[in-house]
Amino acid sequence: MIEAEGLGMRYPTGQLALDGASLSVAAGELVVVLGHNGSGKSTMLRCIAGMLRPTAGRVLVAGQEMTRLAGRALADARMALGMVFQHAHLVRRRSVLANVMCGTLGRHRTAVTALGRLPRGEFGCAMDCLHEVGLSAHAGQRAGTLSGGQAQRASIARALAQRPKAMLADEPVASLDPEAAEEIMRLLRRLAVEDGLAVLCVLHQPELARRHADRILGLRAGRMVFLDRAGAVGDREIAALYEGAVA
Amino acid sequence: MNEIRRIEIGRIAAPVSSRVARSSALPFLGVFAFLVVLGQAALVVHARPQDLITGVHGMADFLSRAFPPDFSKLNEAAWPALETVDIALFGTTAGVLLALPLAVLAARNTTPARVFYAASRSVIALCRSVPDLVWALLFVTAVGLGPFPGALAISVHSIGMLGRLFAEVIEDMDMGPVEALTMTGATRLAVFGHAVVPGVLPSLLGIALYRLDENIRSSLVLGFVGAGGIGFQLLTAMNLFQYRTVSLLLIVTFAIVIVAERLSAALRRRV
Repeated sequence: MIEAEGLGMRYPTGQLALDGASLSVAAGELVVVLGHNGSGKSTMLRCIAGMLRPTAGRVLVAGQEMTRLAGRALADARMALGMVFQHAHLVRRRSVLANVMCGTLGRHRTAVTALGRLPRGEFGCAMDCLHEVGLSAHAGQRAGTLSGGQAQRASIARALAQRPKAMLADEPVASLDPEAAEEIMRLLRRLAVEDGLAVLCVLHQPELARRHADRILGLRAGRMVFLDRAGAVGDREIAALYEGAVA
Repeated sequence: MNEIRRIEIGRIAAPVSSRVARSSALPFLGVFAFLVVLGQAALVVHARPQDLITGVHGMADFLSRAFPPDFSKLNEAAWPALETVDIALFGTTAGVLLALPLAVLAARNTTPARVFYAASRSVIALCRSVPDLVWALLFVTAVGLGPFPGALAISVHSIGMLGRLFAEVIEDMDMGPVEALTMTGATRLAVFGHAVVPGVLPSLLGIALYRLDENIRSSLVLGFVGAGGIGFQLLTAMNLFQYRTVSLLLIVTFAIVIVAERLSAALRRRV
């Protein structure tokens, strides 16, 4: 579902952030990317999402080559790709339901929705997504009043409202307490297994990765160090990955 | 070994201590410089506090002539008072409507191109740099005496003031929701309508209400140059030495300003 081949990213400053990373994430699979700060994890995710244009390699999402698209075509392709960020990025003054309905805007490119009106026909879809993340009781609540974990679940519901085929999560539990982090990872795992989404998630917690991922990719200085089944990644590999890392 | 350490510490300590000495002298130098500037300002404006004491007689004479206020003219003051409020209301509304698109173009994070950014910033700067009283004079010569040039002056000056403040609010907004909605495949316009507008609307409304409050005060003065409102009445009464009418108009002005200020503050609290 997600395929990256020889992905490379060199910033205009000359810094090489990503060097020949290749992986594929199949439908129903959860792959976690580990690595210390500056190892290229987020750059990789942003290249896959089309937020950054890689300087080498190509990315295919649901058969579409993201790296060759721009403008309207890229916006169309992005609908197949849900994205969850470190912070929930909800519009705090709007209700949780309104925020989730915003996930459907890619399907409703009309003048009325562009002027700030929500597509009423998507009410059911948004409620289903909220139900899926266990937030249907909070639909009418202001997004700004949600806890960190709830807000992150609402952002996952917004991504689900896109009806994506794959999901990218960039450190989705970085600002959450351990309990909420566990909950979010369980949810991502469930979305992969039950809904058949291809989930690629960047994490900083090796333990969470080993508990929930099918496979783990280790990145160091923009290069792939390992890509293996979660059960096969031991303490030694993890220690080697973070060796000499500056927090 | 100890000798080497002392030398090393000395090397580090010497520039640090001179930096500390420099930084402790800076506030005194700053205060001294400010006092020098203040002194030249006092000379330029011919500040003579003693004139306030000798001028008390003139003020007392004015007050004795102005008291009691001529409340029989209250009906005549009602229309110019309404005109004053309406000048501000119309001018502010037009200013808000025109400042909004300019602010979007003048904010680094929402402008579509650098050329739009530079052009909109220039228009905003021009509107702001010319005082509303000067705009009123220009519009009086263009469209004649009355409240309309006043409303136009308020509107143009508001574009300058609001355009800059709106652009700053947009630049300081949380770009997270914008990024998130862009990733859903929404169009730029939809992202603007669903992420930018709800994110900045409360701040923009607050600023607009504050501007309305300011503009009501400004529109009182615009009458002095023939741009309608209670200011024009005030100037006429002063020229005709009708001091009791002047005191009535000052009371009406005071009431308008206080009511507008309270109303604006109450609305801003609710936003």
